[in-house]
Amino acid sequence: MELSLVALDQSFSGTADDFPALLRRKGLLGPAPVFDRTAQVGTPYQKTWQPTEATTILAFKFSGGVLVAGDRRATSGNTVVYDRADKVLEIDRHSIMAIAGVPATAWEMARVLEHSFQYFRRTQLQEMSVDGKVRALSKLLRDNFGFVMQGVGMVVPIFATYDFHPKPEARLYFYDAMGAQFEVTDYAATGSGSPAVRGILYYENHWGVKPLQELSEDEAAAIALRALDTAAESDTSTGGVDRSGKIYPLIKIVSREGITTLPEDKVASVFKEKVA
Amino acid sequence: MIEEPYRWVEAIANRREYIETQLASGSPIAALGYREGILFLTLGPTRQKIFEIYDRIAMGAIGHPGDIERLRMAAIELASTEGFTRSAGDVSLRRLVHYSLSPVMKSAFEQVYGAPYLARMLFAEVGMTPDEDLFLRVEFDGEIASNGATFAQAGQDFAVLSGTTQSREMMESFLKAEHRPDATFKAAFKSGLDAWAVGHMTLQTSDTKELPEPAALRKYEQEQLANTGIEAGILERDPSRGIRYRALMDKELRALIHD
Repeated sequence: MELSLVALDQSFSGTADDFPALLRRKGLLGPAPVFDRTAQVGTPYQKTWQPTEATTILAFKFSGGVLVAGDRRATSGNTVVYDRADKVLEIDRHSIMAIAGVPATAWEMARVLEHSFQYFRRTQLQEMSVDGKVRALSKLLRDNFGFVMQGVGMVVPIFATYDFHPKPEARLYFYDAMGAQFEVTDYAATGSGSPAVRGILYYENHWGVKPLQELSEDEAAAIALRALDTAAESDTSTGGVDRSGKIYPLIKIVSREGITTLPEDKVASVFKEKVA
Repeated sequence: MIEEPYRWVEAIANRREYIETQLASGSPIAALGYREGILFLTLGPTRQKIFEIYDRIAMGAIGHPGDIERLRMAAIELASTEGFTRSAGDVSLRRLVHYSLSPVMKSAFEQVYGAPYLARMLFAEVGMTPDEDLFLRVEFDGEIASNGATFAQAGQDFAVLSGTTQSREMMESFLKAEHRPDATFKAAFKSGLDAWAVGHMTLQTSDTKELPEPAALRKYEQEQLANTGIEAGILERDPSRGIRYRALMDKELRALIHD
């Protein structure tokens, strides 16, 4: 806590300041980097940048809300640096942000986002609307775009939440690296393994036993595991299921009641029964 | 003329009297520790007086809404930035009040050409056990009163706030006799409501020294409940969730009164 006196400004800025602005005012969050095309010499500027979101994240709506799943592998180039990474992050009681991209930036973004929602609720004495939350993440991504163009710090998230107004329903969004948000009706996938996953989810939704929206929790978990396993088959950056180390993907569910994480033994039993 | 020491003391004394008169009609607020958490309770018809500050900290306040708002914002800003840069576990009520709020309120109070804060606040921080609960009352001049907790012993399991010193003391002596730290939520709610009534009755009749009879207390509560709402919030002790504050609805509380 700052020991100095609180600088209470006398202006009428009560509602205008969001949490990132507060952090900037206090010097706790760097200013948004500016992409400068004219700066050529001595900068890490790359002419052609490669998207480096090496992972697989997926989310789809099913009968009990939204299921969000991610593998556990974190890579740096060709090296696997960590096999228990948590890429499906809880932001508040009803919101999940799942991340593909640079972990440092993504986790910092999740942290800012989490505090933003709480800060808003505490200061304004009301919950931030779903549209407001979706927009808050979009703004963080846009602020980060300078880093993306320098070839570092790219993040491509999925955001899943439960909306109570005007009617109770699960909402699901995916983003591009610049911060454009796209709401989806059925499913979303991001990361290097996502083409395979999207194929599977499209297939299941149209010609599977039943549409994704009608699946039970166990059926949904089975499809999520199959999809991640398929992605891992061809994508080196996706961990899938590590059969020897018994590391399973992380599966979380957003429902009306809040967020639940499927316990590991449950994921293991679904995997043994339906996937392996 | 204000430069003369005597004038300054006189000005401060006048200012104290003025603020105390302004605060004298404030409806009491009681904060009670019980087995599963801390309950904040007050009765009032209009303005919200109990607020969430951070994961484990809540605040009740009486005074001018504008001043309460500025202090509340400052407390939230400080706690949020601390929680963001370090961790939620590093946000401490003791530091927030002792190092940040109190010095600011004191200097605002003593700078006689500026405006003081017309507010009196009650903070509580929920701990892992009732022994670790902390209650702090902050006066408009920055003075801090705690619940008597020291390093050697746990303090009282309640704290109250009221418009006048007499009303506050009556509530305190009532709770000292009635409230137990291992109380259930329902028992804490009933003691809180009774304590509020004791404090509010004392505000109306300024010369009483005795605690009212239980029957008179019930009657007074019923009269008051007929035309005002109950405002309450709890800080839950359960460590499985990060955010412990929850506002309680008037409706769910009224159901507890009659059974």
